[in-house]
Amino acid sequence: MNLEASSNNIKQWTVITMLIISFLGFLDATYLTVEHFMGAVPNCSIIKGCDIVATSQYATIGTIPIALLGSLYYLSIFLLSIVYLDTKRESFLFLASRIPLAGFFVSLYLIYLQIFVLKAICMYCMISAISSTLLFIMGIYIVKSNGHKFLKIK
Amino acid sequence: MEEGQIIPNDTEQNILPQNQKKQLTKRERKLLKKQKLDNIALEQKKQSQKKSFLWLFVVILIGGSILGIGWLSQSKSNQTPLPLIDKISSNDHIKGSPDAKNILVEYSDFQCPACRQYYLLLKRVSEELGNKVQIVYRNFPLTSIHRNASLAARAAEAAGVQGKFWEMHDQIFENQSSWSESTNPRSLFNSYAENIGLNLEQFKQDIESSQVKDKVNKDYNSGIQAGVPGTPTFFLNGEKINTPRSYDEFRSILE
Repeated sequence: MNLEASSNNIKQWTVITMLIISFLGFLDATYLTVEHFMGAVPNCSIIKGCDIVATSQYATIGTIPIALLGSLYYLSIFLLSIVYLDTKRESFLFLASRIPLAGFFVSLYLIYLQIFVLKAICMYCMISAISSTLLFIMGIYIVKSNGHKFLKIK
Repeated sequence: MEEGQIIPNDTEQNILPQNQKKQLTKRERKLLKKQKLDNIALEQKKQSQKKSFLWLFVVILIGGSILGIGWLSQSKSNQTPLPLIDKISSNDHIKGSPDAKNILVEYSDFQCPACRQYYLLLKRVSEELGNKVQIVYRNFPLTSIHRNASLAARAAEAAGVQGKFWEMHDQIFENQSSWSESTNPRSLFNSYAENIGLNLEQFKQDIESSQVKDKVNKDYNSGIQAGVPGTPTFFLNGEKINTPRSYDEFRSILE
């Protein structure tokens, strides 16, 4: 019983950490999205260094900015974590911990584009890459420590 | 429980009097069950209230964040206008009529892609509103992100020594993509100097001269003093303006 309780506690903390990181990621990506739609004035600045990255052909898929997709990605993890904490239904945690596994590889590709193709680094994109990596680590941790349980879910 | 006793089921009692005791407990059980159900309903109500509070909180948090970010981004572009500290002098490069009522000072970086876009825009502005506006170019090379920006600024200033600043300015912006990441930008700048008919030997000397280096530094420092956040930054008649988004917007504020 005690063991179960403590493992439950650890899980609770992991989910709360995921909640915080995904929220920070959401704020970061939303800022870039808002800038994309509102701050249409292009400029160069030392603080941002985002001029090349945010105005490059890789910043959008068609007319949809990648920042918006990132924003929705973090929001979905954030909401799934909350639903899990609320309902304690493992299937939500299952989803919340698996999505970052895909998100991490997208982040890797975007970092590759920044460093090797565009040769410019955007701070906000790097913050997103860090939060996505942290979520990936948390995701792996949750999957590893609960893997056997997830298998039982119908 | 008493309530149950006050309203007895007469028919049941008449038919089965021996079962009265049992019936009462049955009623009690019913009541208990009802109470339990009530409790559960109450608990559920509390739970659902808690849930709606949680989701209300989430909605407010997410909505608030989006609005907050939007507000921040908006207020950032609507800062109170900054005054230009360094007044225009004979050392400045000025294009347009000296009688023009509007003086536009641009802090710009030759290697900045946005500055190139505004170069094209300003070119049209000065062609069409040449007598209505004076355009002043000041160097603001962002050397930490643009490795050849400083040398480009010196190349334009060195051409300025021979009186061809604006010609070199145009050449540098037109060819931005060729020299920006070049490992040998000097040879490219030399070729532009030849294109516009400069004395190449003097140009090579001037680009290294302390006079030219000082001019670039002076421009940069005046920009720092005026709080230039990035490039391009425009000052109209001594006050910082929000960077216009289009040619029409530019035209409307200059007319």
